[in-house]
Amino acid sequence: MLVFKNTFRDGVGFDAILVTLALGYLVLFSAFPLVYNLVMSFQEVDLFSLASFDRPFVGLDNYEDVLTRTEASSIFFNTVKFVGISVVAQLVVGFALAMFFQLDFPLNTWLRGLFLAGWIMPALVVGAVWSWIFAGDFGVLNYMLQALGITDAKIFWLSNPDVALYSVIIANIWLGVPFNMILLSVGLAGIPEDVYEAAQLDGASRIQRFFTITLPMMRAQLGAVISLGVIFTLQQFDLFAALTQGGPANSSNVFQYWSWQLSFQYYEIGVGSVISVLMILFVVFVAAIYVRSTRHEQVM
Amino acid sequence: MDMKYYALLTTGLVSLATASAAQQVELDLWTIDDPGEYHYVMADEFMEAHPDIKINVRTVQFEDMVNDLARGVASGDAPDITYIDNPEVALFASRGLLLDLSEYIEASDVVNAEDIFPGPLSSVTYEGGIYGLPRGANTIALYYNADMYRDAGLDPDNPPSTWAELYDAAKALTKPEENVYGLAFSAVATEEGTFQFLPWLQMTGGDYNNVNTEGAVEALNMWKAFIDEGIASPDTLIRGQWDSTGTFNAGQAAMSISGPWELPRMSSEADFDFRATMLPAPSADAERASALGEGDNVILASSDNPDEAFMFLEFLMANMDRVWNEFGYLPASDVEVTDPKYPEIYAVFEESMKYARNRGPHPEWPRISQAIQGAIQSTLTGQASAEDALADAQSRIDRVLN
Repeated sequence: MLVFKNTFRDGVGFDAILVTLALGYLVLFSAFPLVYNLVMSFQEVDLFSLASFDRPFVGLDNYEDVLTRTEASSIFFNTVKFVGISVVAQLVVGFALAMFFQLDFPLNTWLRGLFLAGWIMPALVVGAVWSWIFAGDFGVLNYMLQALGITDAKIFWLSNPDVALYSVIIANIWLGVPFNMILLSVGLAGIPEDVYEAAQLDGASRIQRFFTITLPMMRAQLGAVISLGVIFTLQQFDLFAALTQGGPANSSNVFQYWSWQLSFQYYEIGVGSVISVLMILFVVFVAAIYVRSTRHEQVM
Repeated sequence: MDMKYYALLTTGLVSLATASAAQQVELDLWTIDDPGEYHYVMADEFMEAHPDIKINVRTVQFEDMVNDLARGVASGDAPDITYIDNPEVALFASRGLLLDLSEYIEASDVVNAEDIFPGPLSSVTYEGGIYGLPRGANTIALYYNADMYRDAGLDPDNPPSTWAELYDAAKALTKPEENVYGLAFSAVATEEGTFQFLPWLQMTGGDYNNVNTEGAVEALNMWKAFIDEGIASPDTLIRGQWDSTGTFNAGQAAMSISGPWELPRMSSEADFDFRATMLPAPSADAERASALGEGDNVILASSDNPDEAFMFLEFLMANMDRVWNEFGYLPASDVEVTDPKYPEIYAVFEESMKYARNRGPHPEWPRISQAIQGAIQSTLTGQASAEDALADAQSRIDRVLN
């Protein structure tokens, strides 16, 4: 008994409990849904068989079905554009702002905090605001552009199939910049000041200092921000729901919204699961790159 | 049977009857209404008349109703009675989840299937059974701004009745320099887009199972012309009927295709002479069609108290003459509405109801509707010709039908 008590307090038993708790949580809330989703992608599932396991297996039929649809390739490229442009722009703007707020000027931490306002707002609210900005006939943005003489004709930000995707991207960049900025600010603050001073004494220019000190020292943070950015961007659903619903004619549709449409609007849940399985595989791939690129670094 | 046994049985029955009279029957009712609206008002009135029946009303968001019901059925928490949108009745009926009311209706003194208009009746009919009773109906018509008609030199007493007249009027009413479009409608990629387009297809002889027709090509090309020529806003592609008609109320569109649900807002917001006329037809002698909206009251097959549930449905049918003035729906059956609100516009909608046709029925309606929305959107954005888009939609629909 005493032995048990001791192991429980500071021995193997306590460790085991901690591991079991963490593992149990992961199994219940991560592994189970993931596996369930994977199984559904091989089955014929509709609304009414959602709760039972006893569903006809259809092999790879769902995969073939969804990948041969005419809209599949354009939605794939939309997703690539959406993620690529969003992540790069969020990073560049976020990095620039983070460096800006490193400068010593009155109220700088205060103003930096205010930038987070966009990030803490629910994306659906952000979407509603942007839909007023982007509205074609009476939108704020068109009014400004025309008043400033930049454009003559109205741009139909949300209903022009050539523009709609980029409108959602603009809103998403705005939404993601504060998060990038804060994470990168933390990284910048961690670079010792004397390294810069030493470089300055050696005659390194601002640009040289950026490329030889700031960037290499920020490697872990940049890796984290990029992979988290990819993952967050792939999860971005609310903006599509609020702005374009993937339209017109799927011109702004992306995998995450399409998957939801298939499952919950058209009730083709097996086919919708296929998309989420493919997205999970991609996210795992991104996460693996991230882990590889930062494993020899001291992680934040 | 000996006397003693018989006496015992009778006492047993009597005590059973008193027990059930004392015990309240509870019915669960799911609705898309908020407190103060149709189902809540009706449930209160019904409970007053039947103190032995208690109705628990629960609000479910319109978009969540199908998912919540499917979950409820799977977990055994389904209600006794629920509201279902017209095109979803077939989905639930095909699974045997709804109670076939045919025998109840036959025995009823209140409900006569013949009194229900053909559109609403077909929306609750599935393979010979009647699986619900419409709570009301709605349909669409052409609202127009009579003041703008006069300004443009058009006769407001003679609104367009054919597609060609609609096009000419819309063109004449379009004033880009004043930010006024000739026409507002909805071609959005949701059920609303299908709802608006289907009558155009049906008036030319097509239907949901036959979309690749000359008439459909003509209709889609006309819709495309509305957008390409600036007669309707490009945002028509992403705007529902409510928002489109909002631009009409604000004086930024001279006409709008929408339904009676617009009237309360229109009468408070629109500071002009607004009128309505029936949806224009392809030609003067073409067959008429109109959309059929609103939903049905259905009883789930799993209900423990189907008799009491049907009593409530009977009660709702008996109050059909009140739905227009009190709740803003059109009656789905042939009843006399005394002193209707907005009498001229009511007359237009009442006439249109005679031509209102059901969407479907088909258990996989959302997929059929998606194919139709796809054809509308790819034509209107210029990604495909109307012919190609409709051929593609037809092949998608055929895959669902076969």
